[in-house]
Amino acid sequence: MTYTFKIKDKVFSVEINQEKDQTVVQINEKDIPVEFEKIDKNLYSIILDGKSLTIGVLKDGKNIQVVMDGDLFEIEAISERDQRKSSQTLSGVQEIKSPMPSRVVKILKEIGDEVAADEGIVVVEAMKMESELKSPIEGKVTDVLVNEGDAVEAGNTLLIVSSD
Amino acid sequence: MFNKILIANRGEIAVRIIRACKELGSTAIAVYSDADRRSLHVALADEAYHIGGSAPSESYLVIDKIIEVAKKSGAEAIHPGFGFLSENEEFAKRCEKEKIVFIGPSAEAIRLMGDKITARKIAQQAKVPLVPGSDGAVTDVEASGVADKIGYPVMIKASAGGGGKGMRLVREKEEFESSLRMARSEARSSFGDDSVFVERFVEQPRHVEIQIMADKHGNTLHLFERECSIQRRHQKVIEEAPSSAISEKTRKKMGEVAVKIAKAVKYSGAGTVEFIMDQKENFYFLEMNTRVQVEHPVTEMITGFDIVKWMVRIANGEKLPFKQKDLSINGWAVECRIYAEDPSTNFMPSPGHLTYVKTPGGPGIRDDSSIYSGCDITSFYDPMLSKLVVWADSREAAIDKMASALKEYVVLGVKTNIGFLIRVMNNEEFRQGKFDTGFIERHPELLTAGEVDIEPAIIAAALAIEDSEETIESDKGPQSNWKLLGRKAGLSGGTLI
Repeated sequence: MTYTFKIKDKVFSVEINQEKDQTVVQINEKDIPVEFEKIDKNLYSIILDGKSLTIGVLKDGKNIQVVMDGDLFEIEAISERDQRKSSQTLSGVQEIKSPMPSRVVKILKEIGDEVAADEGIVVVEAMKMESELKSPIEGKVTDVLVNEGDAVEAGNTLLIVSSD
Repeated sequence: MFNKILIANRGEIAVRIIRACKELGSTAIAVYSDADRRSLHVALADEAYHIGGSAPSESYLVIDKIIEVAKKSGAEAIHPGFGFLSENEEFAKRCEKEKIVFIGPSAEAIRLMGDKITARKIAQQAKVPLVPGSDGAVTDVEASGVADKIGYPVMIKASAGGGGKGMRLVREKEEFESSLRMARSEARSSFGDDSVFVERFVEQPRHVEIQIMADKHGNTLHLFERECSIQRRHQKVIEEAPSSAISEKTRKKMGEVAVKIAKAVKYSGAGTVEFIMDQKENFYFLEMNTRVQVEHPVTEMITGFDIVKWMVRIANGEKLPFKQKDLSINGWAVECRIYAEDPSTNFMPSPGHLTYVKTPGGPGIRDDSSIYSGCDITSFYDPMLSKLVVWADSREAAIDKMASALKEYVVLGVKTNIGFLIRVMNNEEFRQGKFDTGFIERHPELLTAGEVDIEPAIIAAALAIEDSEETIESDKGPQSNWKLLGRKAGLSGGTLI
């Protein structure tokens, strides 16, 4: 079976093959013989050329979270079609959403304001801490859907930024 | 001993106290909010009572509700843990009035130490070193005189201040006048009050604190220091005991000073006197926390003294069984606070469902937590998942042990700071003990994984996809193991037990 994995902006072509008693994982044409056991619900023991690794994996649809030495790697298993889409640069209309239930502390931009990519546009507070949410693209704020002080749920759209 | 003790808290500290109560032979009574029905403290307690909504203001902070449960359940004492009502003078008073023992100091001690200005006055009277500076707000003329007297660099701070506003660091006398003008105008526009005070600026400060234990029979001891300089967002992340930054002489002096402050307010129970210390080991009183501290385990590990159990015993009138001279430091302990947060986005909290948790083990490793596979981290409370504590015979060995234990810790479902903590353990400056409270800000490279071999992660992900597809295949069939067993039992005429 062949998969296409996306990790941040890097794309890998991954294939798993069973060759007699040996599992071989091919990553971008490179063959890696793998000895593995699933030792718990979300835990794999993998031996690569004698090196023993314990890796946690959580799969949710096409999103796979892998934890290795305390670091989380988010992998998107994408189809051919998804791949074509994502090859275009990020643009268009972006909704800035609250990542968690929180309170809007400060709205840093008004409708019509220009924003740079990665510029902070709204500050939310949850769990006693303030966090600044940034615009993923360069563009203009076309809508502000919340007021300072509002309580918002995870996934609520707070502002809309458009690159057009 | 008390027959029944109510724990007016949640999370890992509630679990810690519940365990201590059980070991002491007392019935442990938990209280819980809507969001905490599935929390570990409820499951571990002997009795549990619902006290209201998920927001702390509807449950854990409501004095009436907690007192009501205490009376209904017949609790003789209440342990407040930390946070919530632990340093609330009204709550301690109310317990006194209702004839329920508050496991902590007197309401009066809480009041005296709770107010910063009063606490500073008490410290001054006890001849405890304070950051040199003006006595409250000053005029322009006085301000410059104070700065000359205490010596540069100095800090000008807004009296009504907070959040860095109206604050100016002045390194040279020539800059003083203009800095004072700017601080005043910023204070005026931010707080509507332009009064300022002047204080010596403590360069590259370390945060060192002393654990106090005092009984109700006049015995006040200290259990040495904790080093808490590794902080993010002004919150401690890594603590250790002892501190590698202080000499035996400073340790002794700091301990004596802390005992003096505790005695000045007739303190009883566990408390912590916090100090700020410069690179030359000059230390100044910051505040006293009148409760058990998050990082109390590192002190327990190097002294073998169970702070939480002794809080309960002291509240019950027992005497501390030893004198200061009987106490000594044994080995080294390090604590890492594991948070559901993302270090790469300025430590933004990451609440969610913990699908899977695997904790480390081995000699000298202690995991104070309340998490388990399948629990939820809600946004109503602090995102701390666990306090991982290790003990070894030296600082170096303790750090190595911590790095290895952190690697064993697997948490899936939320983002955590575990990878970041491992990188701190491996950082040369940290290992050499050369750090101050600005360490994390100076090392942004520790926040992200950097260049790592990603191939094992890709392999694991591919295996997981393959596995889930096989599971889907087999789900089409009728076979679950239970069904199979049931069928076998049915066929053979046996019964399931």
